[in-house]
Amino acid sequence: MSYLVLVQNGIAQGLIIGLAALSITLVFGIARFPNAAAGDMLTFGGYAGLFAFSATHSLLATGLAAIAATALLSLLMYYAVFRRLAGRSAVSLLVASIGVAFMIRAVLGVSFGHGQLVYEIELTRPYIVGGVRVSPLDLKLALIAFVTLAAAFGVLYMTSIGRQMRAVADNSDLARVSGIRPQRVMASLWLLAGALTAIAGVMLGMKTIVAPEIGWEILLPAFAAAIFGGIGSPIGAVAAGLILGVAQELSTPLVGFTYKIAVSFAVMCAVLVFRPRGLFGKAEAVR
Amino acid sequence: MSILSIDDVRGGYTEVDILNGVSFNMEPGEIFTIAGTNGAGKSTLAKAIVGLLPRVSGRIAFEGEDLVPLAAEDRVQRGIGYVPQVANVFPSLSIKENLQVVAGVAKQKARIEELFATFPTLGQRAQTRAGSLSGGERQQLAFARALMPRPRLLILDEPTAALSPAKVADAFALIASLATLGVSLLMVEQRARQALAISHRGCILDGGQVALLGRAGDLLADERAAELYLGQASPNERFGQESAVL
Ligand SMILES: Nc1ncnc2c1ncn2[C@@H]1O[C@H](COP(=O)(O)OP(=O)(O)OP(=O)(O)O)[C@@H](O)[C@H]1O
Ligand SMILES: [Mg+2]
Repeated sequence: MSYLVLVQNGIAQGLIIGLAALSITLVFGIARFPNAAAGDMLTFGGYAGLFAFSATHSLLATGLAAIAATALLSLLMYYAVFRRLAGRSAVSLLVASIGVAFMIRAVLGVSFGHGQLVYEIELTRPYIVGGVRVSPLDLKLALIAFVTLAAAFGVLYMTSIGRQMRAVADNSDLARVSGIRPQRVMASLWLLAGALTAIAGVMLGMKTIVAPEIGWEILLPAFAAAIFGGIGSPIGAVAAGLILGVAQELSTPLVGFTYKIAVSFAVMCAVLVFRPRGLFGKAEAVR
Repeated sequence: MSILSIDDVRGGYTEVDILNGVSFNMEPGEIFTIAGTNGAGKSTLAKAIVGLLPRVSGRIAFEGEDLVPLAAEDRVQRGIGYVPQVANVFPSLSIKENLQVVAGVAKQKARIEELFATFPTLGQRAQTRAGSLSGGERQQLAFARALMPRPRLLILDEPTAALSPAKVADAFALIASLATLGVSLLMVEQRARQALAISHRGCILDGGQVALLGRAGDLLADERAAELYLGQASPNERFGQESAVL
């Protein structure tokens, strides 16, 4: 029974990691750098959601407010920083994103203090499904995560801007000579990346606490999932996030709470050694 | 008025100039071949025209308008199509998506149907990922993608390089037929003799400069061109067969 509880927690944790990993893998595939600010964007989403939740006590309003605020922050980051560095090396952009990450964290710390804040959620009686306790909140959060993921995949695979994003990820020069405007694609990418991290932040905040460091701590597992899933592969990032989340929780009885995060890295190292392209990695680009 | 007018074009990828003052004109409806040895700057010139070369000076006028200040995506809208030498399709997109993704195409659905009629193999495999196509199929898709916005000038960088010898004649026939539809064609080709055979005019690029420029027949007949750039014609060379490649 206790294992089922761990799996359940693992799925919740895995959805958070998966959403963040999807944001990271999209930025990596299209803007071509590892975005270290993803974790702090997530934290920002957690705070935005917290204030919306205290004001409305509605999950829907909380999710939408967090998405709006974080997507806007993300767009601002693009116009203020990353667009100006377009064409620089991935390392320059990575370093810039680390700078942005520290700035977001500092602003949050100065504005709201370094203490822990919590979503004031009323406790509800859990459902008992086959002897396992399932909290209604967990179910709702999972539903929100699935809807967010479905919406993101819908944008990527069923809309014209999504097609353009995938084209830029394949070959940005060919995209330009196909008449695709890089700026429009980048702006859409950052809005989408922001929205994904926002929901991850709300979920993490509701499951645990809200504090300036929460995103930083999830950043490394999220990177691990992005790599494990095959960097640039959206479906891979989500699948790997779920696998890592469940693996972390299941290993807790064995390695203890403090070291469960190490499991992510053991998995990531093993992937890098034995399957460098990750679970869903693309085959070598043609020609 | 010339459809394309290139005047003292210089530029390159870094501070080093790869193009050292290239000038020539192309008239509407012409097929124009650029030949030259490996590394002469042929692909670089093609990139300069379509807007992918980082640093360019001089004048590149399309139908009288200077292109140099325009971004690559705006040059497409003006009516210039481009098939790069390598990586000329989006591998993770399906055949159909490769065509749908092209921006600014009026009556997109009808245009895709038109191109599927021209390239039936593509139509039959519309949902196939472009990355899994054979070299010949991929080249067809690259053509179709470039033709989507109905360009008036089509720039082809080594359109036959990925093809098996048997398919080369088909490709040249297609290129000739595009010209009869009113598309002007600027083609970079290693199979210079075969390319010149269907061209009106051409030039030979050497060290980023135009070494020879003239009517295709004159270039083919020119001894210096034959000796230095085109390779000797094999005694039984016929159009459609593998000819001397540099
Ligand atoms: N992306 C690039 N960055 C820097 N230099 C480049 C790049 N592409 C080509 N060059 C250099 O520019 C010069 C001309 O290259 P270009 O590709 O234009 O030659 P080409 O005439 O098309 O040759 P080929 O027949 O082999 O295709 C070469 O010296 C090459 O090394
Ligand atoms: Mg070339």
